[in-house]
Amino acid sequence: MFDHGQPSYADVNKDIISTMLETGPKYWTLLGITVSVAGICFFMPWFYQLIVGVGAAGMNRNAVWGSYLSNFIFWIGLSHSGTLLSAVLHITNSPWRKAIYRSAEAMTLFSLMTAAMFVMVHLGRVWFVHWSFPIPNQMGLWPNFRSPLMFDVMAITTYLTASSIFIYMGSVPDFAAVRDASTGLRRRLYTIFSFGWRGTAREWHTLGWAYTFFAVFVIPLAVSVHSIVSWDFALSAVPGFHHTIFAPYFVTGAIYSGTAGIVTVMYCLRKFLNFERYIGQVHLDSLGKLLITLSLIWTYINILELFSTWYGGTSFELEALSFKLTGFYAPLYWEMLLFCAFVPLLMLFKKIRWSWNKMLVISILINIGMLTERFIIVATSQPRKFLPGAFGYYVPSWIEFSITVGSFAIFATLFLIFIKWVPAISLYEVKETLRPLRRDA
Amino acid sequence: MAIMGTFAFEEDFLAAAKNLTSSGFDNISLLSPLPLEEAQEVLGLGKSPVRHYSLAGAIFGAISGFAMAVATSLVFILPTGGRAIITIPPFLIITYEMTILFGVLFTLVGFHFISGLPAWSDRPYLSSASVDKFVVVVEGADGEQAARAETIIRDAGADEVRHVEDGQ
Repeated sequence: MFDHGQPSYADVNKDIISTMLETGPKYWTLLGITVSVAGICFFMPWFYQLIVGVGAAGMNRNAVWGSYLSNFIFWIGLSHSGTLLSAVLHITNSPWRKAIYRSAEAMTLFSLMTAAMFVMVHLGRVWFVHWSFPIPNQMGLWPNFRSPLMFDVMAITTYLTASSIFIYMGSVPDFAAVRDASTGLRRRLYTIFSFGWRGTAREWHTLGWAYTFFAVFVIPLAVSVHSIVSWDFALSAVPGFHHTIFAPYFVTGAIYSGTAGIVTVMYCLRKFLNFERYIGQVHLDSLGKLLITLSLIWTYINILELFSTWYGGTSFELEALSFKLTGFYAPLYWEMLLFCAFVPLLMLFKKIRWSWNKMLVISILINIGMLTERFIIVATSQPRKFLPGAFGYYVPSWIEFSITVGSFAIFATLFLIFIKWVPAISLYEVKETLRPLRRDA
Repeated sequence: MAIMGTFAFEEDFLAAAKNLTSSGFDNISLLSPLPLEEAQEVLGLGKSPVRHYSLAGAIFGAISGFAMAVATSLVFILPTGGRAIITIPPFLIITYEMTILFGVLFTLVGFHFISGLPAWSDRPYLSSASVDKFVVVVEGADGEQAARAETIIRDAGADEVRHVEDGQ
C-alpha cells in the first residue's frame, strides 16, 4: 500500500499536519488566482444577470432550461463519488479507502455547494429561494410535494446535511491531533472543533458505531439524490427526457464522473501536498478498475437508451433521437461517446492504469465528456419537442460560459481552504493500515 | 487524584487495562491514537446504544415526512386531472428523504450524549495519545488504591507514570 516505505505513527501526524500549518507563497498565489477567477468569471456575470434579468443567458422560448441546469447536474454528479464511495468502502472494510476518503468526501461537499450556486443562478430572482422550503409565511405559500423539483430540494438539503456531518464526524479525532500539534488561537479553535476529544475507548467505540450508521444512511441517500435529479426530467413528457432508464443512467453517470474527479483530486494532492507516501499505485489501480467498470455500465445504459427509443417507435422520440445523433449538437454527442465510452477502455492496460499522468488526462477527458452529456440532455430535448413550431436552437451566451468557468474556480477555492483547515488524509485511519505498535510486529 | 500510565506498545497497554479491571478499578479511561477493539472489549463495551437513536430518528423522520406531505395536500387542495389528493408514490419520496435526514441528525445527537462530548473542561490527557502513545488513566484513586493502581501499571511495562489532580 505504501510505495515509499511504511511511515511511523509520528511521521503520519507530522507529514499530514505540516501541510496545514506551513503555508508557502505558492499556496497564496494559487488561492489568489482561484478567488479572482471566481469573482470575475462567476460573481460579476451573475450580478450583471441579476440586474438585466435571465435574458442575459442564451435560454429562449424553445429552451427554457439551459447550461445552468446542465452544470447543476454535472456538479451534483461530481459530488457522488466522494461520500458514496467512502461509505461503501467503509461498510465493506476496504483498506485502500483510508488514505483517499477524506478528500473525496470534501469533494462531495464542495461540489454540492457549487451545484447549489447554479440553482440560485438559474432561478433568476434568487431572493425568493426560501419560497421552495416549507417555511410558514403570511402569504400562505407552501411547497407542492408532488413536484419533482420539491423532491430535489428535500433530497439535496438532506444530502448536504448528511455529507457535512459525515465528513465532520470522521474528522473529529484528527482535529484533536491538530489541536495537540498547534498553539495559540489555532489550538483554541481546534479544541472547539474536536469537542474535547481524548481518544478514549468509549469515544472510539461510539464514533465507530455512529460513523457506520452515517454510512448506512448515506448510501441509499446518494442513490436517491441523483435518481431524483433524473426525475426532474424523466417525469415530464418531453421527448428525450421521458425515459424510465434515467434514474440508473444518472446515478451511474454521477458515480462515474465523481470517481474520475477523485483521480484528478488525488493527482493534485500528491503533486502539491507531497502525499506520494500515502496515495500510491494501489489507489490509482483500484480507481482505474472502478472507472473501467463504471464506463462499461454507462455505455450499456446509453445503448439501452438508444435502443428503447428506436424500438418504442414514437415519432416525437425518433425525431429527438435523430436530432441528437445527426443534428446541430451531434458533434458534442460523438465527443461524449469518445471520451466516456472509448477513451476509458485504455485503462484495461495496466501500463496506463499505473501512470499518474495518463490517468490524470483520462480522468479530465471523462469529466469533459460527462459535462457534455448533461448539456446534451438539456439542450437537445427541449428545443425539439412535438411540433415543428416549437423547434429551435439553444446556444449558451458568454455569461453562461463565464459562469461555468467560474464554478470550477469556486470549487478549487473551497478545496484550497479545506486543505488548510482539515487534514486532507485521515490520520487515524492511515494508522490503522500501518504495522501495529506491538512488540512482535 | 488520577494516575496516568503511558505505554509505547499495545499489548502492555491492554495488559494494564485488563489487570486494572480485574482488580476492581472501574473508573478507568483508555486513550489511544486509533480505535482498538481489544480496549473496547476490556471495558465491556458491546453494542452501542447509538443505534437506538438512529432507529428513533428514522421512525420520527418517516412519520413526520409523510405527515407533512399529507397535511400540505389537505390544506392546499390541488386537484390534478381527477387524481387522488393524497398521492402515495410522490409522498413516499419525501418520507424517504426525511427518514434519512432525521436518522442522521438523531445519530449525531446520540453520539454526543453517549460519548459525553463536547467536554471542553480539563481532563487527564497527554497530547502524545493522539500521536503514538497509549495511555491508561485511573481516576478517583487515593492512598492505597492509587499505589495499587500504579504498581499494576508499572508491572505491565509503562514508560512513565504520572499523578495528576482530577480535572487536570
